[in-house]
Amino acid sequence: MNFGFTNTEWIFGTMILDKLNEIHGFQVVVNNLPNFGMGALLTLEITVFSIVIGMVLGLLAALGRMSKVKVINSIAVAYIDFFRGTPLFVQILLLYFGIIPLIFDATPVQAAIIACGLNSGAYVAEIVRAGIQAVDRGQMEAARSLGMTQGQAMINIIFPQAFKIVIPPLINEFIMLLKDTSLVSAISVPELTHTGKMLYASTYEAVWVWGAVCVFYFIMTKALSILGDWTERRLATE
Amino acid sequence: MKKFLSLLLIVMLAIGMLAVAGCGGNEEETAITKLVVGSETAYAPFEMVDENTGDYIGFDMDIIKAIGDAMGVEVEIRSMEFTALIPALQNGQIDCAISAMSITEERAQSVDFSDSYFDAGLIIAVAADTKGIETLDDLKGKVLAAQIGTIGADACVAVQTEDPATEVKTYDHVGEAFMELEKGGADAVVNDLAVTAYYIKTEASDKAKMVGEVFQADDHYGMPVQKGDAATLALLNEGLAKIKADGTYDEIYTKWFE
Amino acid sequence: MIVVKNLHKSFGKLEVLKGIDCHIDQKEVVCVIGPSGSGKSTFLRCINRLEEAQQGQVFLDGEEVTAPNADINRIRQEMGMVFQLFNLFPHKTTLENVTLGPIKIKGMRKEEADDIAIKLLRKVGLGDKDHVFPGQLSGGQKQRVAIARALAMQPKVMLFDEPTSSLDPEMVGEVLEVMKGLAYEGMTMIVVTHEMGFAREVGHRVFFMDEGILMEEGTPSQIFDNPRNPRTQSFLSKVL
Repeated sequence: MNFGFTNTEWIFGTMILDKLNEIHGFQVVVNNLPNFGMGALLTLEITVFSIVIGMVLGLLAALGRMSKVKVINSIAVAYIDFFRGTPLFVQILLLYFGIIPLIFDATPVQAAIIACGLNSGAYVAEIVRAGIQAVDRGQMEAARSLGMTQGQAMINIIFPQAFKIVIPPLINEFIMLLKDTSLVSAISVPELTHTGKMLYASTYEAVWVWGAVCVFYFIMTKALSILGDWTERRLATE
Repeated sequence: MKKFLSLLLIVMLAIGMLAVAGCGGNEEETAITKLVVGSETAYAPFEMVDENTGDYIGFDMDIIKAIGDAMGVEVEIRSMEFTALIPALQNGQIDCAISAMSITEERAQSVDFSDSYFDAGLIIAVAADTKGIETLDDLKGKVLAAQIGTIGADACVAVQTEDPATEVKTYDHVGEAFMELEKGGADAVVNDLAVTAYYIKTEASDKAKMVGEVFQADDHYGMPVQKGDAATLALLNEGLAKIKADGTYDEIYTKWFE
Repeated sequence: MIVVKNLHKSFGKLEVLKGIDCHIDQKEVVCVIGPSGSGKSTFLRCINRLEEAQQGQVFLDGEEVTAPNADINRIRQEMGMVFQLFNLFPHKTTLENVTLGPIKIKGMRKEEADDIAIKLLRKVGLGDKDHVFPGQLSGGQKQRVAIARALAMQPKVMLFDEPTSSLDPEMVGEVLEVMKGLAYEGMTMIVVTHEMGFAREVGHRVFFMDEGILMEEGTPSQIFDNPRNPRTQSFLSKVL
């Protein structure tokens, strides 16, 4: 049962493991792997829900931003400017301690999802707008010259082409968002960074604890970017 | 997969070596002329930032300055997160810390503590209209808030261990725990008596109140130094003894707590 | 069939059309020639309101196209347009490019639309390219698909905006052949072009435009053999 390793590799590997087991920080990390896993799972959960909210809001805001109706345009611009122009960390504190309590009783996780979703929506809006504007103007003209309405042209002609353009920057935004969810540890959400903080506060093993947190984040972001590359390749061959 | 596993092992080994290197060597010091002191300056009235001048003020700040004056050494305060203080000592980034830190066995494994300079204890704070919470037992099954890495948080976790239905919310700073209490997101805050008393007096006399008896009253604050740093430890203890003897300590105590 | 009255169009301070008046009859082929920047393309684009004129009117069969409450989406179905840069939909096959309008706009059943589209693709000589994406076609082939796409809406009039200007020389002929065929079938056409041979051979009337003004109009022989306006003379002496 050497899991496909040669004997030499296996013996060398177990030697290294024995040495590692003598290090306190290593033990801390190994003993707390389930805690890191739970934290990472929550990080993932917050990211996924925030992405959904961000996509919906982003699409609406992008359309609002391009709308000729003044009121809608102003609301979209104000939304995008505010959430892009202020730090996410501050938005999280403001929303959780200040604004959301006025509206309803949110758990920290709900507040985290709302804050990250609102923030992401502003970035998605700009990505979507750039994608739509990157589609050649002639496409809209050709669609309209056939007799399509603005909406029909958007849905049938512009969006499908913009979609391909926005996939790489969107994946990038999702990776940023996943990393930024670390900020919600400030409102006691027990996600990956918070798990790290708690462990670090009781063991002082900075390198091991934060190193392990990094490895977990890295695995998640790498998975996202692999997913992104795969999507991009699939779309390219279509 | 094989490759990946070997790579992972190598990375972990490298991190391990870094960790070992990080713990390395105490430099011998001859005569101390300056103390770099770490503190989490968001824990009134022990340490805080003066709203007008931006200086670090508070009971702890006055104590360490008085020790500095008594011993003829310069004192430089470095503001950092509470959980960063002990690692900063271990890495030699600061010489000592003064941050309302309780002397605990667990901490004493990582650092050496000066003589105690303050007798503290924990107290439960609840919203002004709360009834039925008086003791630690009453906290079971409730939502508790505390600061990460404090003995207050340890007390909350102990309650949670007894009754898993208890929820513990932890924050980087105690102020956020109090905010959680104010907005109704927590039933109680468990924290140091002096700080909770000061907070309720200055910020929330109508919103929050302290209940029950002070517990863990054998809790004493000390100043941690790097493990084995006898020189700094001696300086702190000698300075503390001096200001206690000449009445400076009492003056400072009166200024902040009476 | 098409009547244009006192059409004015400016881009900012630049006045591109300075009052165009003309009429085009049914089954008539009108070729618009003139130097670059003379306003030919803008004139064409104002007819189906891809550009909004600031002043003046355009009528199609008596209905005012330029009226603020005109149902422009319905009117555009009756005016097919072919662009200089083809503007095919790159994410759709040639067949889908042609059927998209009938299906999405007219609500035609897919089978019916496919039938019509296959016939149109055969007509422009691309019956075997129905499942190819535009990226795999040559410029001439793309433009022929674009013509089929416009025809699929069964328009009353076809607008051509320099349809051969961005083609390699060896591909110009195949596109002009298709257009010639359309003209002989009796399609009403307005063609902005630099192909003087086509204008002379196929056009019933030729418009010469310069500096936003319709300088001279007449039969091809009047314009090409006996131009009266000195500007027409000077332009033709350069291009012929």
